Amino acid sequence: MKQHPLCTDTEHAPNVMEMNVPAGLKREWAELQTRRHFLGRSGKVLGWAAMASLLGGRALKGDSHANGQYGAPAGESLKLPHFAPKAKRAIYLFMSGGPSQVDLWDYKPHLTDLYDKDIPDSVRGAQQLTGMTAGQARFPVAPSHWAFKRYGETGTWASDLLPYTARMVDDLAIIKSTNTEAINHEPAIMLMNTGNMNAGKPCLGSWLAYGLGSMNDNLPTFMVLQSKLNTKENNQPVSSRLWSSGFLSSEYAGVGLRSAGDPVLYLTDPDGVDRRVRRNMLDAVNEINRQTYEELGDPETNARISQYEMAYRMQTSVPELADFSKEPKSTWDLYGPEAKDPGTFAYNCLMARRLAERGVRFTQVYKRGWDMHDNVTGILPIITGETDRGCYALVTDLKQRGLLDDTLVVWAGEFGRTVYSQGGLSHDNYGRDHHPRCYTTWMTGGGVRTGITYGETDDYSYNVVKDPVTVRDFNATILHCLGIDHNKLTYKFQGLDQKLTGPVPASVVQGLLA
Amino acid sequence: MKIRESLALFADSWLPRSRTTRVQWVSALALSVAFVLLPWIVRLDGKPHADWEQFLGRFHPLAVHLPIGLLVLLPLLEIAGAHRPALREAAVFVLGLAFLSCAGSLALGFLLAFGGGSVGTVVTRHMAGGIALTIGVLLCVLTRPWWVSGSVDRIYPVLLASVLLVLVWTADQGGTLTHGSNYLTQYMPAGFKRWSGLAEASAAGSFYEKHINPILDADCTGCHGAGQAKGGLRMDSYESLMKGGKDGAVIVAGSPEKSPLLTRVTLPPGHKQFMPAEGKPPLRAEEIAWIKAWIQDGASPTATTVAGITLREERAELPFQPVGDYSALMPEIRQMDQTQGAKLKLLSSKPEDGLILFTVDAAGSFGDEQLRQFQKFAPYIVEAELGRTAVTNASFDTLKQFTHLRALHLEETRVTGDGLAKLAPLTQLTYLNLSGTQVTAAAVAPLSAMKNLRHVYLYNTPAQPAPGIGQAQPIARSQP
Repeated sequence: MKQHPLCTDTEHAPNVMEMNVPAGLKREWAELQTRRHFLGRSGKVLGWAAMASLLGGRALKGDSHANGQYGAPAGESLKLPHFAPKAKRAIYLFMSGGPSQVDLWDYKPHLTDLYDKDIPDSVRGAQQLTGMTAGQARFPVAPSHWAFKRYGETGTWASDLLPYTARMVDDLAIIKSTNTEAINHEPAIMLMNTGNMNAGKPCLGSWLAYGLGSMNDNLPTFMVLQSKLNTKENNQPVSSRLWSSGFLSSEYAGVGLRSAGDPVLYLTDPDGVDRRVRRNMLDAVNEINRQTYEELGDPETNARISQYEMAYRMQTSVPELADFSKEPKSTWDLYGPEAKDPGTFAYNCLMARRLAERGVRFTQVYKRGWDMHDNVTGILPIITGETDRGCYALVTDLKQRGLLDDTLVVWAGEFGRTVYSQGGLSHDNYGRDHHPRCYTTWMTGGGVRTGITYGETDDYSYNVVKDPVTVRDFNATILHCLGIDHNKLTYKFQGLDQKLTGPVPASVVQGLLA
Repeated sequence: MKIRESLALFADSWLPRSRTTRVQWVSALALSVAFVLLPWIVRLDGKPHADWEQFLGRFHPLAVHLPIGLLVLLPLLEIAGAHRPALREAAVFVLGLAFLSCAGSLALGFLLAFGGGSVGTVVTRHMAGGIALTIGVLLCVLTRPWWVSGSVDRIYPVLLASVLLVLVWTADQGGTLTHGSNYLTQYMPAGFKRWSGLAEASAAGSFYEKHINPILDADCTGCHGAGQAKGGLRMDSYESLMKGGKDGAVIVAGSPEKSPLLTRVTLPPGHKQFMPAEGKPPLRAEEIAWIKAWIQDGASPTATTVAGITLREERAELPFQPVGDYSALMPEIRQMDQTQGAKLKLLSSKPEDGLILFTVDAAGSFGDEQLRQFQKFAPYIVEAELGRTAVTNASFDTLKQFTHLRALHLEETRVTGDGLAKLAPLTQLTYLNLSGTQVTAAAVAPLSAMKNLRHVYLYNTPAQPAPGIGQAQPIARSQP
């Protein structure tokens, strides 16, 4: 193995045994070779072996990097999009924690009559429950606390908790039959985002960045916006593993904008450093990195160079992006006053629209707090109050600006919630446990057939009875809207042609396509 | 004399000679009469009946395929039997089996229709076809021996051929019941459709023809149509609809609230007078809204639009017009990336899908002069993203040469709209975004002549001031 220029601890120690010294001295030296010497040396060897196996063939060959060469556009060499896309970019509103489909979308009027009655065993089947309700003696039906009304020309049912989203039901494709295999947050959210319950796979945004490349070189291709926490809500953690590029080059990982203070830390030049000095410094650093790349062929070195360059360009593009002062009054009328407060969901929706305008390929907005094991009637109105208007404003704004024609918007959580109450059930309150078998999501925009409700659930909103949509199918459909055949966007890693939808066959949901 | 002789001869050959055949004929005749009378014995009243009837009845679609297969096989056996007599012997068995399976399917069909409460002209036709078919096969069974013996050699082949024709027709009716009437022709190639006269009569039909009549056709004419006219009301044509039934008019033009039609479909579903009756599903909310708006607007048979209803037009998308071969220009196209800051990218992996012009990196420094540099690639560019650039009205002189342009983004530029008419030669253009510019209503007026231009966005312009919350709409013109 060639030695890294910055790595000094593997330099050849002089071998005393081969030196031209008296034999007595050699013997004396050999006696000094202690157990400590042995362990120290073998440790280094083991370390190198481990590193080689971690980097796999990539470090040695350096050929699996998509671009092959620094600076080539990603999409072109991959021959992507596979076909003319309907959507050029996507915005994914991720409702982390598992929104209750029973209280928001999946209207089951007769549940009122079944209040506090046990749901039949035939409906639950042999399902394994979470540890949180598996011990419950009863599974009493908790009808939704809120009334549902019909909206739009399509007469779609929506809960009173969604007064704004309800205004645009005719523009949505509401999927009632989304279902997942995972029942706990971390695996379920990983599955939604990366197509696999275990961490380590690239997420949807990274696949898009890798496959389609950038439309705007001055901003990252994939951006992540986290919404501020509301401590009244039960906030399950959201970690950077969800926007990780996994085994793809790290330049395809999501770039987060902070919800408070500077959107990106240390983006402003320190006092006394002007653009020219910064440029000179970067040129020098890049030169060193390029030499390193030529010597070692590690593609991550190239990723580092492009990240430095991106940060340099973001020094001018991000302040312009985050400057909302030129937004007309109609914007604030639409998004509401909350949108002026950085880090709120409404602010992030407006930011997502601005990113879409600026050609950012994929923006994922996270809103945590949908995990309601108790006190649904207390918390659900708070979180819908935070998110409902933002969703409506974003879609409406994209539509009036003519951006919805080629932007895909997705609203989804990682699973739904049970129709039976977790813990005590009263007429005023109840809790709901995780429910993977059916949950409601929606899509709209480029490539989506709007004004439809897709899939049906049984009378208990428990099992899908018609047109199930698995997470694989869901992701395959998203890729399709962006002109990608999910079976063809692959990356060779660990001997497999890895893809977002995984090895189990997935299919594009034709019923959702325009 | 001659006539009498020949009649005698005829009778001799026709009338059953032996006792057994006479018994066969009499019982067959009785059976046929029973089949014919079946619809009167088992009256389809449109109400669902016992569960076991439905359960068994639902095997009908499965069971019918057995007689179909046997009846199609039969002529093949008969023809091939000319050379291999063993096949003719097999044909006797196949024919007998065909009759039994026909009778069985007929019984299941009745259970399905009666048990499930289906009625309608297609059901009636399918039923009539099934009965005729069963009788036809029965007659085949009886006449085949004549054919074999050579005494009367025409009747059986003619009967068999007619049975096959009836089979095709009945099967088509059945298919219509399960898959809908346009199942076979929906994806027929357009050329073939035109040739067979199945092409859509006219895309520019009236609101009544395109939206009202289909609703009535789907949900009402089963009871109020050519097949049945309950209450003396027929809704299958505009004239009969406006004439009303024996209780008077059902539509009062201009006043939906006084029109019994609308009242009846908006009652609570449990109500005695609710329509569609007999537990059929209620009309959808949007359908009711269309009917209401149409009556409000005068219930015209010819009007193409109705106030207050904007319809999502299910217009076929404009097919991609492949652009010419630009492979020779590829090196230059790549070079444009470096020099102009704007870049040309392939729309998809198929080069003939054309190129997209991205300018977002160059933005403010990209003006009319820079756009002119791309003139060379004009016929290959299908999408031009010029939003937030420095282009002005002068850009139209360059853009008019982008003959394959489908989408043009000019949002938040200094374009004011003078000269937009120059874009008229761009017949492929379907999308034009002028949001946030200073275009006026007068300046965009010439665009209405471009018939493929479906999506024009004028948000935040003098032509369309910023709308208030809740009514924001793009101008998506529904008709050319």
